[in-house]
Amino acid sequence: MTYTLTRVEDALAAENDRYPLGERQRVEDPMQQQVHRSVFTGKLEEVLNSTVNWGRKNSLWPYNFGLSCCYVEMTTAFTSPHDIARFGAEVIRASPRQADFMVIAGTCFVKMAPVIQQLYDQMLEPKWVISMGSCANSGGMYDIYSVVQGVDKFLPVDVYVPGCPPRPEAFLQGLQLLQDSIQEERRPLSWVVGDQGVYRAEMPSQREKHRDRRIQVTELRTPDSI
Amino acid sequence: MLFDLSAIDERLRSHRHGLPEADFTVFYHLLSVSGNRDIMLKVALSERDLSLPTVISVYRNANWYEREAWDMFGIRFEGHPNLFRILMPSTWQGHPLRKDHHARATEFDPYTLTVEGQHREQEALQFKPEDWGMQRQSADADFMFLNLGPNHPSAHGAFRIVLQLDGEEIVDCVPDIGYHHRGAEKMAERQSWHSFIPYTDRIDYVGGVMNNLPYVLAVEKLAGIEVTGRIQTVRVMMCELFRITSHLLFLGTYLQDLGAMSPVFYTFTDRQKGYDVIEAITGFRMHPAWFRIGGLMQDLPKGWDTLMQRFVDWMPARLREYERVMMENSLVRDRTKHIAAFDTANALAWGVTGPNLRATGCDFDLRKQRPYSGYENFDFEIPLAQNGDAFDRGQLRIDEMRQSLRILQQCINNMPAGDYKADHPLTTPPPRERMLEHIETLITHFLQVSWGPVLPGNESLQMIEATKGINSYYLTSDGSTMSYRTRIRTPSFPHLQQIPELMRGGFVPDLIAHLGSIDFVMADVDR
Ligand code: SF4
Repeated sequence: MTYTLTRVEDALAAENDRYPLGERQRVEDPMQQQVHRSVFTGKLEEVLNSTVNWGRKNSLWPYNFGLSCCYVEMTTAFTSPHDIARFGAEVIRASPRQADFMVIAGTCFVKMAPVIQQLYDQMLEPKWVISMGSCANSGGMYDIYSVVQGVDKFLPVDVYVPGCPPRPEAFLQGLQLLQDSIQEERRPLSWVVGDQGVYRAEMPSQREKHRDRRIQVTELRTPDSI
Repeated sequence: MLFDLSAIDERLRSHRHGLPEADFTVFYHLLSVSGNRDIMLKVALSERDLSLPTVISVYRNANWYEREAWDMFGIRFEGHPNLFRILMPSTWQGHPLRKDHHARATEFDPYTLTVEGQHREQEALQFKPEDWGMQRQSADADFMFLNLGPNHPSAHGAFRIVLQLDGEEIVDCVPDIGYHHRGAEKMAERQSWHSFIPYTDRIDYVGGVMNNLPYVLAVEKLAGIEVTGRIQTVRVMMCELFRITSHLLFLGTYLQDLGAMSPVFYTFTDRQKGYDVIEAITGFRMHPAWFRIGGLMQDLPKGWDTLMQRFVDWMPARLREYERVMMENSLVRDRTKHIAAFDTANALAWGVTGPNLRATGCDFDLRKQRPYSGYENFDFEIPLAQNGDAFDRGQLRIDEMRQSLRILQQCINNMPAGDYKADHPLTTPPPRERMLEHIETLITHFLQVSWGPVLPGNESLQMIEATKGINSYYLTSDGSTMSYRTRIRTPSFPHLQQIPELMRGGFVPDLIAHLGSIDFVMADVDR
């Protein structure tokens, strides 16, 4: 699996640097390289790393942040019929400082973008971003002067959930995909020990993964009956 | 009351039917509640002298409308105390609704945010009390300025309000909007009449097809289309269903803002049941865009009535339970009774409509006063309350849901037979059978679907009683496939403008209770 590496040092910004800060480079799995050094410590590190990741991915605290319509579907996912607690992500935080991930649920407005950036900066590492809905993914149907054409113009996005709005189930699937990718991540175990880079796994695209199965559907239900 | 105020850029318009020479027109839409009549005043302006005296001394709510006209068209209102931008960021260049301003983001360099730009924008977002004529201290106290929003759990979206506090007491406050401006009015000038429908869904985004209705009705007026009884009834039915889901969302979040965690879980369960019906009928949950010019997207599916009946049977007991558990709860009562109360005169001075107006005892509901889409055929009542406080606004919506359920029941019992598309050449998309006659009809069909219908050059206006108050579309057609100007008047805009007057002298928790009770979504404010 290939990884994207971001180093903390790179994120020290100069005035005319653009968001997202920090250089990204594609690298091989750093864990694999360790294994070459010593089979024993390599295994140990692998176990340790995957335990920490397991803990992280199963207690993701979302930041209570909503922009527009998609937020309503996101809240729907939080309430009982969909029950996000099944995935350990029900501890909604009102402060970015306590949250683990932020869902950009809705349209990203030019007027709001600096605010979003500020809130993102206030979140502590490790942190992740889910972009929910067409507006946040690409501007969606709002190719208009006041809308940023996709939140990834300035934030690093981990998972994109398509839809306008995505169903709550789709959001939950996005959350699970984020969990899968967290399981594969390599982060420093401490801020003084070892390599200080963040290695994010490049996960396969869902569209490509399911394409074969999807195009085999030949019979679609008519909308004439319920 | 001053119902609406905005402007039109007339410079490119050709069908002007004897209107005087003008580069810009500012219009004032006045509505009399007691007389149930409207007047629209239009003032012609030339490009060289784009200014008018402000009307704030007569109509308080003109304040934001004039700021909006300044922001969008660059029209100055002399004597306005704070003629700042309202929807666009203060660093913005240009006036978006002018015909010479670009519409698409992609006509422009892609958006980037640099570290320096971030500092600059944050600087511009700083609140400066002096700009608003506020003191930083009084004789015996230093005021604290508390910034609530643009992202705050009880601000219901991207809404910001800056409070001037003396201890817990709100001395004054300044709402700041525009964090949710999606340029829907500009968008309408770029979409065909037909393809604008999905954008209307997203104005009041919890109102679903309710938003399609005023637009579609206004277009039908322009085109001269008469729809069948079945279309009317189905439209009413879907609107009322959305009214219920919207009010349920209101109820859950309103109580949550007061600190009650669980109601939102209950009301969202009900919403889910409502959405099951909506999805079975329209194929989509929140934004079905299901109405069409001259009809509906398709007919009702087989078995819709059983589903709907199940929902109608489910709800009454739940509503009773909400009343018993929440509205009769002494904590809820203490937090909301006599909080942010206003009377009818005050409501009208601020342009308040809908349930918030009726909570003051004013019986003005367009479904009765100016029936549209066949509301005159239904048997239902308009619930009223007396005190106009946060409690009444909550209770009234529960009562409204009961009435909506009554309407739904009547729809189930008496659904008329008929076509789901009107028989008119401008119905879009046209009925399929008409296409399959010969090559000529095929070409017409193709043009109408690809370019969209051409509507005669004229103006039309349609208001409806939407979930949150009166929503209206004022369309100006220049005889083409697109609208020349679409003015969308939304109820939440004036509702937010009224906040400072109500909150002066109140406490912070009262503000939260009030925000919960207004029932607004930011898309319905900023569009
Ligand atoms: S993607 Fe669609 S539903 Fe989501 S915020 Fe944008 S317009 Fe609204």
